Amino acid sequence: MNLESFLLLSLVLFSLGLFAVLAHRNLIAVLIGVELMMNAASLNLMAFNRFSVTDPVTGQVFVLIIIGLAAAEVAIFLSIILNLYRTRRTIDAEQLTELKG
Amino acid sequence: MEQAVQYLFVGLVLIGGGMAALSRHVLYNIIGLGISLFGLAGLFLQLGSPFVAAMQLLIYLGGITVAIVFAMMLSIAMTLDPPPRTPVKTGFAAIAALTFGVGLHGLISTATFATAPPAPADAWAVAHIGSALLERYNLVFETLSVVLLLAIIGAILIARPDRTGKVA
Repeated sequence: MNLESFLLLSLVLFSLGLFAVLAHRNLIAVLIGVELMMNAASLNLMAFNRFSVTDPVTGQVFVLIIIGLAAAEVAIFLSIILNLYRTRRTIDAEQLTELKG
Repeated sequence: MEQAVQYLFVGLVLIGGGMAALSRHVLYNIIGLGISLFGLAGLFLQLGSPFVAAMQLLIYLGGITVAIVFAMMLSIAMTLDPPPRTPVKTGFAAIAALTFGVGLHGLISTATFATAPPAPADAWAVAHIGSALLERYNLVFETLSVVLLLAIIGAILIARPDRTGKVA
């Protein structure tokens, strides 16, 4: 597989993630969409790292940072979901409309 | 043989991604995410980085996916019937995702990317990542550790019940 086919795979994965974020009402499913998009970005970086860079350390460090930040983000997101479920008894994105203008 | 393994991983990524994005049941979404992450770890291995592949398996598949499963079990998301889809919302989401995908595909097919000769095999050694993290990327490494600490404290504060014991 060459660089373009990896980019296409990552494009498909990112589009699937975007669809999941926009279409799902369950907040956990929305979080899964965000994770798909982050992994598409990681795949992109690893492909460029393999095919168009002379020093392969930078891309690997970049992907490791992305994985670490994703862990932090998921921890915060899940605690917000649990708090919402405790106070509102729902994690449906369309019923959480307190801030609607 | 190498090619077949690569296509197997690509298939895993696509099938898992499709399950994660298109299924209506949260449990299938999570299983799909796990399959997709596993395939991606295999692709990272194929791209020459066993260390990042191992971290992907450990942190993503072993940590994040399990955390999501726990959140799903602690909230009611698993036992409820999934709400019916509204065709308008799904349609607009599909249009947005397709537009984005087609546009980006146009960009990819017209762009020319720099190519470099493949790096020597010893440039991929884990020791290089370690020394880069502690020398060239020291600041990023430390920042990430602070961010993780703050995220843990914040997650505990947000998820904890009121100190008075009553449910907020």
